[in-house]
Formats: sequence, structure tokens, C-alpha cells
Amino acid sequence: MKLQGTATLHADRERVFAALTDPGALSRCIPGCESLDLIGEDSYKMTVSAGVGAIRGRYDGQVTLTELVRPDGYVMNARGAGAAGTVDATCRIDLTDDGEQTQLAYSADATVGGPVAGVGQRMISAVAKRMAGQFFAAVDDELTGAQAPLDSVGSASAESAAAPGDGGIQRGYASYLPARRRGELVPADARPLLLAGAGGALIALLGAAVGGWLARRGRE
Amino acid sequence: MTTKLFGEPIARREDARLIVGKGRYLDDIGHGALGVAFVRSPHANARILDIDVSAAVEVAGVHAIYSYEDLDGPMAQPLPVLIPHPSLTAPRTGYPLANGSVSHVGEPIVMVVADDRYLAEDAAERIVVDYEFRTPVVGVEAAERADSAVHEDIPDNVAARLVQEFGDVDAALLQAPHTVSFTQTIERSASMPLEGKGVHARWDAVDESLRVYTSTQTSTSVRAAIATKLDLSLDRVEVIAPDVGGGFGVKIVHPWPEELLIPWAAIRLGREVKWAEDRREHFVSSAHERGQLQRITAGYDDEGRLLALDAHILHDHGAYTPYGIVVPIITSTQLLGPYRLANYRCQVDSVYTNTVIVTPYRGAGRPQGCFAMERTMDRVADDLGLDRAAVREINLIRADEFPWDNHLIFQDGRPLIYDSGDYPSMLDKLRDLVGWEGFEARRSAAAADGRWLGIGMALYVEGTGVGPYEGGHVQVLPSGKVLVSTGLTSQGQGHETAFAQIVAEELGVPIEDIEVHTGDTRRFAYAIGTFASRAAVMSGNAVALAARAVREKALRIAAEVLEVDAADLDIVDGVVGVRGDPGAVLQLSSVAVLSNPLRYAFDEASRAATQFARFASYDQPPVPDDDEPGLEGRDYYSPVRSTFASGAHAVIVEVDPGTCAVTIEKYAVVHDCGRLINPRIVEGQIHGGVAQGVGGALYEVMAYDEMGQLQNASFMDFLMPYVSEVPQRIDIGHQETPSPLNPLGIKGAGEAGVIPGSAAIAAALEDALGIRIASMPLGPSQIYDLIRAAQDGTAEMTLNSARRSQEEST
Repeated sequence: MKLQGTATLHADRERVFAALTDPGALSRCIPGCESLDLIGEDSYKMTVSAGVGAIRGRYDGQVTLTELVRPDGYVMNARGAGAAGTVDATCRIDLTDDGEQTQLAYSADATVGGPVAGVGQRMISAVAKRMAGQFFAAVDDELTGAQAPLDSVGSASAESAAAPGDGGIQRGYASYLPARRRGELVPADARPLLLAGAGGALIALLGAAVGGWLARRGRE
Repeated sequence: MTTKLFGEPIARREDARLIVGKGRYLDDIGHGALGVAFVRSPHANARILDIDVSAAVEVAGVHAIYSYEDLDGPMAQPLPVLIPHPSLTAPRTGYPLANGSVSHVGEPIVMVVADDRYLAEDAAERIVVDYEFRTPVVGVEAAERADSAVHEDIPDNVAARLVQEFGDVDAALLQAPHTVSFTQTIERSASMPLEGKGVHARWDAVDESLRVYTSTQTSTSVRAAIATKLDLSLDRVEVIAPDVGGGFGVKIVHPWPEELLIPWAAIRLGREVKWAEDRREHFVSSAHERGQLQRITAGYDDEGRLLALDAHILHDHGAYTPYGIVVPIITSTQLLGPYRLANYRCQVDSVYTNTVIVTPYRGAGRPQGCFAMERTMDRVADDLGLDRAAVREINLIRADEFPWDNHLIFQDGRPLIYDSGDYPSMLDKLRDLVGWEGFEARRSAAAADGRWLGIGMALYVEGTGVGPYEGGHVQVLPSGKVLVSTGLTSQGQGHETAFAQIVAEELGVPIEDIEVHTGDTRRFAYAIGTFASRAAVMSGNAVALAARAVREKALRIAAEVLEVDAADLDIVDGVVGVRGDPGAVLQLSSVAVLSNPLRYAFDEASRAATQFARFASYDQPPVPDDDEPGLEGRDYYSPVRSTFASGAHAVIVEVDPGTCAVTIEKYAVVHDCGRLINPRIVEGQIHGGVAQGVGGALYEVMAYDEMGQLQNASFMDFLMPYVSEVPQRIDIGHQETPSPLNPLGIKGAGEAGVIPGSAAIAAALEDALGIRIASMPLGPSQIYDLIRAAQDGTAEMTLNSARRSQEEST
């Protein structure tokens, strides 16, 4: 399935490119990201904790960035697998100057398999687009907000969620949930969800989002 | 003495559990299943540009949202044309979910699966579909004009041109002493079962098998359709029709999109999925029928003998043709009725319109055919100043002229040959029953009092018991219970009673010991379905034959055990005994035990069948050659062609001059469906049919506007008759001309009551008002308009009304 869209980011292309390819920034902006570790040249291993309501789990994926042309854009390939299915995606990110802002265009081609593919293409793309929008908003906040400059490669804890509505960096999965689900308990033995594998921005969101939807419905 | 049950009006056995809430209808099944709602087209003719589900995914509890792009393999292909026909030159069917365009309001576009139906509807409401609107085609005249097309590649909107003819109609019309030409119309109505459609599906991942419950009239065909479309082996699919709250034809269409989509979703999601439609859905996404425009020309002589009849009929087929042209075929063949005719041509143009599909509704085209012929008879009588019954009588096929070959091919692909009947006798009985001869005096006396009374009649012949076959299985269990299974389905016809009566009498067992199962592919897998007044004829005969096989085997086994001749044995109340000798008896249950030689006994009864318990010949194997263990029989009935029932209705109406309300003062029915299994059930069928006939004649229309919007898609505005509108008393006279085509001599009775309703009531209204009636149904508003037009001199009056005025003035 194909997914495309655009976003406006309030910073110049250099800073945007840096944010999007910086593991520290990504780990803060991706919902539930627990760790994003370099395992090779532009290749990362990611662990994400995601879920909806009472059901959460951890899942792993692998992301590789290629064709990096600073500050024009890059291609990312992401793979992930889990009980709910598999995702293998390639996403092209293009950045264009727009005065002091940057226009970002993303174009992804994803192959979704297994039970997650059973929910219908339009549902998957709608959820992915929604979460992509939220992710880019988070990146935008990171670029414009009064927070620490971009870190180098490292881990960030998803559990240190900022208090809702404090206007700063929205960290952790909770902030991307509708208000009524915040603060619910996380059972330790939550079943595994779709691996986010798609460590790149929107594919991770696709996995997290769809896995979350699946988790919510799968109470077998 | 065996208790005689065939022909007895015993109370129905299934009613007790149904009326105390122990019925198990589709919506009673699967409380834990996911619920489904559809986004259905609000436009009659449009291209789909985009489907935006982004707002819908925010509804909690949504599991899946599907559109055409998600369908693959056979599911992505159009729905099948069930009954192909050489004249159906431009067939068209829809897709399970709309593929880029929609052709009627109500066509399904998106399927939402959620925790329950409420959430699914909430999500469906938030889905935004972007349409490119196109001009809809509504009504047969617009379809015929073809200013625009329903389907772009069928510019003339014609699905089929069907011609049925014999003799030389054009020459005969030229030579006829008199001719009459007229145009008349019948409006759409619909089956409107109390229970709508519903589907429940469960995929068993361990067995890799699918079980589907659907409120259908044909579980075996739905099974085949699902297996094909979902690419499953037939043995991995079971389909069961649970208790069904009425079908009346609409549930013979299959596979409905939902019958495919719900199992498809159940497999993809690994969950039970269920859908049960609401009433509005049923109005806009099931099927309608009856709508036709008829242009008729008839030639006749001075006595009213019909010499030639030429009918050109425009049949409104709706947006698609999944059921082929069965309704046009039935109209054009059954139009002939009980009359002799040497020259006939009927051309039916089936045209597309941007409205709901048209498939059989009780009568399935016969009411329209009856309307055409009977109103022709009325016109001939009016023209010549003859009695309407006398004109009919002179045209009837005589009782000694059977079998009567009409030289046409019927809807079963077999010759239209009337096997038996006695139409003159039927007409005589009807005249007596309704008081035909003395009515004119009543009418003119009432007219002098300012009351408008009228009488009308209509006769019909109905082809019933169409093939290709049905089967029956009868098994006596060691407990003594008798299981009877047949593959066709039940929607309230009393099959659990009628089939039990047949088996009870054939086998000689108490009816309380019998359990009847229908519509379950697990129990009986070869079947066609319940439609065309065929169940009693087809399955009735099949279970009779199966029961006879069981009786024969039981007597053979009992004869061995009792050491007597099988010819001396009878089965009475479940006991096998020697005729005239009260001592030597064997319970049928014991015979069932002994029919299955056992090694292991697990209860007292089965001990008798084990190897050391009874003496057996050492030269014979326990199960001889050509024999099988168990006391069961299976047989099929396949008819050489349909068997023809017949009937005649007469009705006396009163029209209120002020309010134009129509009251039915008397409704008389003479009915011939051969031998009756249960007269009470047949009477119930007649009552139900008459109610639907009255509804169609006086109240029911599908009010489509020129944009293809159905304006009365609810019972607030679609008027079905209440008890207050149906005649309080229906006088029924019976006649039995047995069928020579099947062992039990029975003919079908299911649809008869509805066939002549519009024709008879139209004739009665015309008689009461003196104004020509050329379109049905007729409500008070239309009657008022007719009366006004008559006063203005713009209405067509009957010649009879002029004769009456003359008589009154002399």
C-alpha cells in the first residue's frame, strides 16, 4: 500500500534534516520509543512500547537510512514483525525550503502482512496518516519549543512522560492517546504487539498505531 | 389401524416454541460476535471519487474498515448471474462492495466491523465518500426513452428482450371481428418479511472450516456460492438457515453481498462476525418486484372468444439482474391462465433503472400476467355487453382436455404443459361462493341508495413444484425417534408439521416421535431451495419415498426376527406387528437397534444387537451384500416438469363516495392445489397470500422520485395492510384435481393467494365506479382523482357505465 503526505516544519532544512536523522530526537518524538540504538552505518535497532488502554507491549524493529543527501532528504527502509503481522516499508522523505520554514513530503510504499493486513487498507492508511501528522507535530515542537538542543545517539525513556498540556516536548505514548486513556495501568504481561520495526518516523507510527488498534480488539 | 394424518388439519407443531420466545432467529445467534454496519450509497447513480475513513478510525472499538480495494480473487469479481438465459443479452450484477460506481440508493460501499452494531454505525456515519453525481434513470418509460443510461455500456437500458409466441398473432388480429388495445401499469411492491436479512459467520481455525448462519431460502446454494467466492473447498463450509421470520421470495436471492462479506471478514479477523439489517436497509438494499407497464392488444369474436393476444411489457428490473429474467419468463408464460388461445405473442423488455434490484416476490410475475389476461377479459366483456364470468367461461380449457400443451418453455426450462385441473368447475364454485348471479340486483339497489358496490373476479393457473429435485432422509434411531431431514428451507410454511404428517402416515409412527430438520447443509447437502410453491411437492414426495424405503427395510428385519412373512406385517403407532395377531410384535425402536449389528453394547437396548445376544446364520455376514447398517432411507423426487395448480378469486368492494375509502365486503377464493397434506396450513397460506394481494392492490407502492430516492423507505409511509384492512372473512372453496406427476398427487399452494388480487380488486372497483381502471394500486387519492376526472369528462368510462345510465334513465 502507498501512503503519502506533507507537513510544514518551522525551521530551516538543515535543522529539520538533523532532527529527523538524529536518534535522540526520534526517540523522543516516536510514541513509546524506549530505545533507538545504532547497530551499523545508518542502521538502527529500535524498541517501542505501545498500546492502547490496558494492553501494551514491546516490539522491535530495524531501520536503515540510505541515499542521505543533506539537507534534501533521504530514504528509509524499515522492517518489523510480530504476532499481529509484518511490515516492510520504504519511505522517501524530501525537504524543500519555504522561506524560514521547511516543506516536508513523504512517500511510502509498505507491504503489510498477516493479521494486521486484515483490517482493511483504508483503515491502515488512515491510522498511519493520523499518527504521521501527530509525529510531525511533535518534531515541529521539538524544533520550535524551549527544550534542550538535539542529543547525539542515545536512549530515551518512554516512561518519563511529560505532564499533559505543559506545552513542552510530548514524550511517551500517553500524549498521543485521547485524553481518556491517559494514566491507565500497564500490565506487565501484556501481549506482544506488532513490531514497530519501521523505525523511521511514519512507519514506526504505522506499526504502533495499527498494533495498538489490534491490541485493543484482540482479547482472545 | 394406522392413524390417518395426510389430509388432516392438525395444529402446527412448530408454533408452540415460536410464540413463547424459543425461536432461534439469526439475531438470537452470536451475542459475542463483532457487529457490522455499511456505508450505503445515498445516490442513485454516481461515480465514487474518494473514500475518507480518517474520522471513522477514531471511534473506539472499530476493528476493520473495508472497501472494494480490499477484496481479492473471486471476491473482487461481480456477483453471479444465477439464472442465465439466451435472451438475457446484457446481464449486469454488482460487486460485494461498490467498485468505483453505484447504481442505486442503498448499494453497499464500505463495510465497518466493530465491537457492536452501534459502534459500527457511529464509525460508518463518519466516513466521507466523495461522489461524482450522474443523472439517474427512474421508471420504465424513462428507461425506454434512454436519454441516459443506468450502465454506460448498455445505452438502451435493455437487459433482455424475451419473446414468447405461438400461432400467428398479427394475422389473427387482422382477421378478428373485434380488437381492443389498452395500456395498464402495476407499481412496485416488495416481499417485506417481518425479519430482515442477517448473516453470522464463524471461522474455526483448528478445523479450518467455516460455519455460516444466514436468513435464507436456500442454504445449499449459499454454501456453494461462499465456497466459490472465498476459495474454500465445499466440504469446509457449512450453511444453516435458522428459524426464519418470513422470506416471500426476497431471501431466495443469493449470495447477497453481506452473505459473502461477513464470512470473508470473519476469516480475516479470526472472530465471529454478525450482521442483521434494519428496516431501512431492507427497503433500499434488498429487492422489489411487480413494476410493469403493459401494452395489450387482443382480438376476439362476437361471443367473446379470444382469438389472439399480443402483449408488449416493459419490466422494471432495477439496477442489476442477479436473478436473470425469471420474473419476465413467468409473466409471459403464466399470462395465458386457464384459457385456450391459438395465437399469442408476449414480448417482455426487461429494462434497467437506477433503483433497487427486482427479483421474485410471492407470485414472481404471475400477478402481473394475471392482471394482463384478466383485465383483457373484463374489457372484452365490457365491449360486448356480456357477463364477465360468461366471457371467461367460453374461453376455459375443458376438464377433458388435459394434458394441455401451451407450446412454450416455462421457467424451469421445461414445456408449459398443464397436467390436470377443472377450470369450469372452479368458475362455477366461485360464482356460487361469492353470489355472482344475484349481485347486479344488489349493486343497483345500493347505487339507488347512494352506495357504490362493485364485484370482480380473476382466475389464474400457477406452475408449481419446479425441479430439478429435492431429497429426503428418514432415519429411525434406536431410541425410537424418527429424524426427517430435507435440504430446502422453512420460513413459516409449517414444514415441521406437513413433512411429519407425511412420514407419520407412510411409516406408521406417532407424529410426536418425529423431528423434522430443514435448511442445514450438515444434515442434508443436496437441495435447491424453497421458492415457486415447491416445497410440499418436492420435499413432501422425497420424504415420502424415503419413509417408504425405511418401512420396507423395517418390515424385512422384523420379518426375520418374528419369523413371519413381511407381507403380513404392519407398523401401527411405532409397533411392528402381524396383522390380526396381537401377540407377535416388535417395537420399531428395537428394529432400529437390530439393524445395526454391534460388537459393543453401551446400554440395555443395544445389548440385543451384540454378537452373542442373538442367533445369526454362520453362512451370512452380519451386514449382507447390498445392505447397510441402520434403519434409514434416502430418496429424491425429480419432476419431469412443473405441476399446475389453479384458482379463482372474486371480491365485492364498496367505495365510499365521500372519502373514497375502499372496503372489502366479501372475498371468495376457490383453490385447487391437488391433494392437501394439511388443509389448515393451506388455508393459512391462502389467508397470507390474500393479505398480500390486498396490500398490493390498495396500498403498497415504492415511491421513487425522479432522482431515484425512495421516499417511503419505512413502514410509516410504505403502507402494509393491518388486520383492519384485510377482509375479516375469506370464504374458501376447495377443489382437488390431483397431480399425475408425483406419487402424492400434490401441487404447490404457497403463492396462490396473492396472484389474482390486483386483477380482481381492479375489476371490482371498475364495476363500482364505472370508470376504467388501468393502474394499480388504487388508494383513496387516486380514486378521488378518477371521480373528479369522470365529472370533468376526461376519464375513460366503461361502456357498462353508459349502459347503466341508459337503463336508469329509461
